[in-house]
Amino acid sequence: MAKRLTTLSSRLVLIVLLIHAVLLPALFVALSAVVKQNMADSFVDYARVQGRLLADGLELELDKPQSVLVAHLDSAILGGRIVHASMQHSDIEITSSLTTQSDLATFNEDFEFGEHDDQTYYLSLPVVSANDTALLYLGFDESLTQDNFEDVQRSIILIIVAYLLIVIVAMIYLSATMTQPLNWLQRASRAIASGDYHKKLETDSRLLEIHDLTLDLERMRSNLVKVNARLRHAQRLESLGTLAGGVAHEFNNVLQPLLLYTELALEDLPDGSPIASNMERVLELANRAKGLSKQILTFGRLGDDVELTVMPVTPVVEEAVTMIRALLPANVDLRVDIDSGIGDVRCDPAQIQQLVVNLCNNAFQALVTSDAHIGVSLMSTTVDSKQAAQHHNLHAGEYVVLDVTDTGRGMDAETVERVYEPFFTTQEVGEGTGLGLSVVHGIVRRHDGEISLNSKLGEGTSFRVYLPRVVVAGNNEHEQR
Amino acid sequence: MANILIIDDEKDIRVVLKEVLRRAGYDVTLAANGRDGLEKLAADGADMVITDVIMPGIDGVAMVQQIRETYPDMPIIVISGGGNVAPMEYEPGAISTSAYLASATIAGANRTLTKPFERQELLDAVRAQLDA
Repeated sequence: MAKRLTTLSSRLVLIVLLIHAVLLPALFVALSAVVKQNMADSFVDYARVQGRLLADGLELELDKPQSVLVAHLDSAILGGRIVHASMQHSDIEITSSLTTQSDLATFNEDFEFGEHDDQTYYLSLPVVSANDTALLYLGFDESLTQDNFEDVQRSIILIIVAYLLIVIVAMIYLSATMTQPLNWLQRASRAIASGDYHKKLETDSRLLEIHDLTLDLERMRSNLVKVNARLRHAQRLESLGTLAGGVAHEFNNVLQPLLLYTELALEDLPDGSPIASNMERVLELANRAKGLSKQILTFGRLGDDVELTVMPVTPVVEEAVTMIRALLPANVDLRVDIDSGIGDVRCDPAQIQQLVVNLCNNAFQALVTSDAHIGVSLMSTTVDSKQAAQHHNLHAGEYVVLDVTDTGRGMDAETVERVYEPFFTTQEVGEGTGLGLSVVHGIVRRHDGEISLNSKLGEGTSFRVYLPRVVVAGNNEHEQR
Repeated sequence: MANILIIDDEKDIRVVLKEVLRRAGYDVTLAANGRDGLEKLAADGADMVITDVIMPGIDGVAMVQQIRETYPDMPIIVISGGGNVAPMEYEPGAISTSAYLASATIAGANRTLTKPFERQELLDAVRAQLDA
């Protein structure tokens, strides 16, 4: 059976109404009872006190003629609240002429307020003088108190209704403030799900849950943006590699006969002929084209690969640095910080050296001021899962980290985005091939590594290459002993 | 002198390879595609086969397989331009030519060469295979 879905606000209203449907009638009943009891008690007290006062007055006049007693009873009725006044005195029944309620024959004493349907509270009191006794019968009018009680009841109902109205208004306001940001979050997450995730999520809601939920969602969104950008970047490089590889294939098929025909022509020409020296130039250029094609293939990881072998990485990088020192002008400040014995990596040493050389060459091209320097450092590190999550090709584990930094001109965001693309260069046409960093990228990927970069215009650039460190299982050695 | 059969769908490459090998003293027969190559091999025989790997019709890998069925000891050199090509079937992506060369080796090719190679590389490879 399908679960019936309700909105938060309708559920809230339903719950509150249910609670009040039980609570409010109970409250009304209880309040009424208390008020009624209270009013009845004070009525009864009043009646008894009045009755006592009247009885005390009659005590003094018990020996007087009947007309005096009647007059006394009459005045009691004229006092207001008494509707019946009569006496039983030595078997004689004296009744006030003003009595409107009941006759003595049916007189039935009350103990509680409202016992009689005629809205009269009947009371009998002994009248005792020094040598005589009589019994006083009084009836008090209950209707005024009854009316008062009904007034109070109406007031209670009014208060309850007013309270209910306030509750309803508060509920509407509450559910609006609560569900409004929820609805907004819902719309926002729907937009993200359908691919529109470039708007930052912010809320001014002061509800903690809403605030936290928005923060979480925003974190997810910004992560999605980052992951997507990385994916797009990777796909772009992938398709560029495929394209370049396709071009290189055709290029190689043209280059092959060009190379061989040139070699054949050179064989036919006598040494030192001017045609031969021109053909030698052609051969040189064809070989340069061959080198370019090879670099493209390295970027696309399409070259005929040398097997990767496990070896200590420090000597490989040190050798590359020696090579760079020889290549760079003497006045360039190259600062090297290589940890010794940081372990083994599975690599093609020639490619690792090319990687170091290309990165340093790139750094050198970026230098503008005379006090700028290039830094090369090599160390080992352990990548945790948090770091791994921030990079596409990084996994938690042991790595060797190569940093190549420069304090050169730095790059803008657009350059950073395209820096690994083949033939992308910021140098003048003819000065650079735009393949150096593409080759670096290809080499890093071939070695299951990762490359990242930080750059600030005017401050410099730093590249960081991660290569997986080969860790010999620790217990191996132990077992051999 | 040894007779070498060259199979390549690109005329420029066929012809220049023939010239290089002819100058080195080999007899060379040319074929423009796999079917042609197999027919010429059946008719005239050869001491060695050099074949391109990416060709329409029967490609280099299939060539190696078919030649091996009849001539288990025939020296075969497979050549290919580095890079990648669209796959033969309608699969997405591209296949690296080094993958083709690896398949050819598994199928029984004795040696692979990636274009562009120099004259001496080719001659060394041919000599090594014929001497073996």
